[in-house]
Amino acid sequence: MRNTNQVKSHLEKYIVTYLFIALSVLFIIASGLDINYVASQLLLRLNRNAFIVLALIIPIIAGMGINFAITIGAMAAQIGLLLTINWGVSGVPGILLAAAITLPLGAFFGFLIGKLLNKMKGQETIGSLILGYFANGAYQLLFLFIFGSIIPLNSNVTIVGASGVQNTLNLTGSVGLYTAVDGIAHISLLLAVYIFCGALALAAVIQFVRKKITQKRLLACIALAVVIAGVFCIPAVADVVNGSHGRELKLPLVTWLLILLLCLFNATIMRTRLGQKFRAVGQSQTVANASGINVDRTRVIAIMISTVVAGWGQIVFMQSEGIGTFQTYAAHEQVGLYAGAAILVGGASIDRATNLQALVGTFLFHSLFITAQSAASAMFGNSAVGEYFRAFLSYGVIAVALIMYAWRSAKQKKAGQMNLAEQRAAKS
Amino acid sequence: MSEKTKEKPSVRSRIVPIVLFILAGILLVASVSGYALQGTQESKANLDDMRTSAVLHAASEGLINSIAQQARADKLAELRKDKNFRKRGLDEVNEICDGAMNEARAEAEKLYANPVVQDKPALESAIIAYETALAASGSLSQDERAAYADLYIQLVDNISDWKALAADGMDDDAVIAALGKTAPDLLKDENAHLRAGFVRLARDMAVKQQAKEDAESQNQLLTVLATAVPDWNEYAGLDKDALWEKLTAELPEIAAGEKFKDALLSDALARVEAAQKGETLSAPAESEAGAETVSETQADYRYFAATEDLAQKELAENAAYDALYAQLVTIIPDLGTLSSKLQGTLRENIEKVLYLEDDGFSARYNTYRSQKAEPEASGAWKLNLASLAQNLLLAGIAILLLGLVVFFWDPLTQRFGVSRTIIALFFVYLCLLAEFYNISVRMMMGNVLERMSMYGVLVLAMMPGIQCGIGLNMGMTIGCISGLLGIVLALQINLVGFPALAFACVCGAVVALPLGWAYSKLLNRMKGNEMTISTYVGFSFVSLMCIGWMMLPFTNPKIIWLLSGKGLRVTHSLLGSFAHLLDNFLAFKVFGIKVPTGGLLFLGLCCFLVWLFSRSRLGIAMTAAGSNPRFAEASGISVNRMRTVGTVLSTVIAAVGIVIYSQAFGYAQLYTAPRQLGFVASSAILIGGATVSKAKVSHVLIGVFLFEGVLVFGQQIANSIMAGGGLSEVMRIMISNGIILYALTQTGGGRRA
Repeated sequence: MRNTNQVKSHLEKYIVTYLFIALSVLFIIASGLDINYVASQLLLRLNRNAFIVLALIIPIIAGMGINFAITIGAMAAQIGLLLTINWGVSGVPGILLAAAITLPLGAFFGFLIGKLLNKMKGQETIGSLILGYFANGAYQLLFLFIFGSIIPLNSNVTIVGASGVQNTLNLTGSVGLYTAVDGIAHISLLLAVYIFCGALALAAVIQFVRKKITQKRLLACIALAVVIAGVFCIPAVADVVNGSHGRELKLPLVTWLLILLLCLFNATIMRTRLGQKFRAVGQSQTVANASGINVDRTRVIAIMISTVVAGWGQIVFMQSEGIGTFQTYAAHEQVGLYAGAAILVGGASIDRATNLQALVGTFLFHSLFITAQSAASAMFGNSAVGEYFRAFLSYGVIAVALIMYAWRSAKQKKAGQMNLAEQRAAKS
Repeated sequence: MSEKTKEKPSVRSRIVPIVLFILAGILLVASVSGYALQGTQESKANLDDMRTSAVLHAASEGLINSIAQQARADKLAELRKDKNFRKRGLDEVNEICDGAMNEARAEAEKLYANPVVQDKPALESAIIAYETALAASGSLSQDERAAYADLYIQLVDNISDWKALAADGMDDDAVIAALGKTAPDLLKDENAHLRAGFVRLARDMAVKQQAKEDAESQNQLLTVLATAVPDWNEYAGLDKDALWEKLTAELPEIAAGEKFKDALLSDALARVEAAQKGETLSAPAESEAGAETVSETQADYRYFAATEDLAQKELAENAAYDALYAQLVTIIPDLGTLSSKLQGTLRENIEKVLYLEDDGFSARYNTYRSQKAEPEASGAWKLNLASLAQNLLLAGIAILLLGLVVFFWDPLTQRFGVSRTIIALFFVYLCLLAEFYNISVRMMMGNVLERMSMYGVLVLAMMPGIQCGIGLNMGMTIGCISGLLGIVLALQINLVGFPALAFACVCGAVVALPLGWAYSKLLNRMKGNEMTISTYVGFSFVSLMCIGWMMLPFTNPKIIWLLSGKGLRVTHSLLGSFAHLLDNFLAFKVFGIKVPTGGLLFLGLCCFLVWLFSRSRLGIAMTAAGSNPRFAEASGISVNRMRTVGTVLSTVIAAVGIVIYSQAFGYAQLYTAPRQLGFVASSAILIGGATVSKAKVSHVLIGVFLFEGVLVFGQQIANSIMAGGGLSEVMRIMISNGIILYALTQTGGGRRA
């Protein structure tokens, strides 16, 4: 009885995720694409986008919904990148410089966003979306009319014969920002998986020795590690990974270390006092307020962290393999949409999210993204349908998540009222 | 509330407006004295002197330029003769040549810059004669060209089938009669001289249309060739005639394409050759016939003809110029050495000095100054002040208004709301700026009216949504898509004119009913989160329908992609169906402004109906349910039912609204085009003074006027400030989203806590 209920609630929570898993499998089969190609594209997109998606977690826990205003963090990063290109700093120093510029800019923008969102509590999702649109106007004003005329820039980034920044800026060649982080070192996927499994087993043993986890849990962890490692030992899988008829799958080491670091940051901050505050504010602002937490301040801090991290994520995105050009006026536009859709696909909702959900979500969302076009042309004989289907998926998944959240909270409210009424009846 | 406590802060808060009033007063006084100075004899005489020296400067400038260019060319030729020419870099060559040019220019300026005028009165009278001749012919030519452009745009915007109108063998009178059906003004006597030109236009357009259709059908046949033949090797070894025979025998479509025999044959031969090598050639690319960019029609003056009156005036103008030229040659004899091309430039330059569209004091002054004509030193400040009079007046009014708004801030914002006050002030400022940049406020107002009739009904769709308590109905795109479906259905069955318009409206409304009902059921479960959800439901629906537009089984070749034969095109021209139908209905002109009577009347009718509804029992119940759901529930009103009524109404009005929008635009745009319409309508109604929980018909009308007014004026002014830039787009994005953000901050606070 308890078990079926658990399964039911689990299914209810993760229905979107399971739907996406099914769709992904269907699409990968229907598209007829080479599995090695899909896997390599998927890895590429995962290391490109994971950072930005992870930036959404803290605001969700702090009860501010999906922070679509991370586009503004991306804009801050793009200002940083533009200045870096303008000053001709290349390679890792260039990336560090851009990140350093993003930090104060993103923090300041985040502060403003937080202040504004505090004035529209309960409407943060739509508020941050429209704020993103508004900021896009300000961004264009800055890049078209202020850069190049009021703030002087080098002629290699401005439009010849007019004010404003060029439509596309090259990151390759002498600019030297292309794969500045990705290209430092690579590690083969197989090795990475083995290291991950080893680390997982080791961590489980250590935790068990320190008596933090039960024996059952320990065994489960070790079993998981063995199973994952085992799967990659299967010849068919190993073939795909080693690319005996394709290219070998590799991970950019530094980028993945950064992503892991961010996961660690998200996990540890929740253990600190600040993290407790986020959680408390997210659960109930009234209770948090009553227990002496400055609700508004906590929310502003959450958004500031999210904005800065999203900015850095945008830098990771821009330098990554296969991008190479900086679309000055469009690069930030879809950041919020894709990241929001990805984290929701992973099973997060408007009020809870974890690192794992973010990573799984990015993985699933992009596996559909890669295959949608070919799958649509195979199924409908029309590749444009795939393009529209992708857009529909992004928007649809957000709409469904919002609806399910609103539905659930309405149900809870009703249940709460019923309880209250019952209590009253019992009293009298 | 004693007097003292109220007075203290008010003194401090009134310092700003008082300073503003003083500043405005100074500016206005300066402006009035400037206007007074414009009228004095001294200024007039001084200005006339400036005119003379400006003309002389314009004349000598041409000569100096020509000498300088000649010197540069000479130097370049000299360098080319040198053996070492190729060794020199481009920059070096340019530098040397520019040096020579500047030297020659300096010398020439010394020679000609201060020509000695012996017979000043004669020169002046020649100048005045030419100026008057120019004024007479110039204004007349402008009027005639405007009348021509008017007719041209009327014809080109409203005629879709030129071939039927000017078929081969039709005589001129028949063509004119046909054109006159679209543009009745052409049949008036005063436009008789233009008829021949327009007949030529019609014939040219018919030829162009034929060519376009030919290209399309040829492309279609080429696709048939690419797809219908399984194995080209069967055709190998045939000569041209045999190949053609075999093709036409096997593919009946090809037989109809006798006209394109050459192109088809060469394509077929290429395919045979490729097949023998074991390759296959790809099919031709899908033509972009439906994706043409939509832009405003510009008149083409190639078909323009002048009236006799104008021709005579132009003759008089030529004579006056000859007289002036003779005078100038006596002063600067070397003018006679200029080539005929440079003579033309000289005349143009002088014309620019003497013929000003706006011949006000300051415009004249500024033109003469730009020709380096200096006013007499003693009266210089007076002329300066006089020329600034208008700008000072505008600045004075602007500051006075700002002062007034600051002074009456509290009562104003209480009465009209902060956003409406600020936007209204901004709009007035834009009008003042338009005056400053010499943009015709009248014409802009005409545009504003046109856009009001275009967007009005769409904005009205927001009202029932707000009234019934779902807030800003961002999901009105659902209604818009229903309306678009109505339009393409009307196009599919080839309806034309008012029946098409009515069919599209009714059909859209019928589709919108169940959709709106289902949508309202969804929203009823999501109370408190409607705006977020409706936005994303709207977005998802637009993307879903993108797939729908591709998949729906429409068959009319006019609306589907020609080659693939399935999927609707992106942009559908409504020419020949119901473009501008309402707007042209009973349209008339006042002060040169075209009033789109039909559109405005329809907007008024819709507003009236919605107003009537909000006064009915159901409407009052709906508003009550929206503004205070608990109270409504207590008094026996079903809140959910009322919300359903409001949502369905909003969706249906949106469906009608998009049909009206498309007829005014002249095009129906599918796919992602309707996505942002909810935002546009929201910002408009919020600017009009509505909040997310309260709206009236007046908010709709004021809102759509102010919103469109700010956009139309802003666009023109932004273009004058920075041509070609995206400044107006930036302004639109920031205003429309800023206003929604502001509305959210007003109501969102503390809802969830």
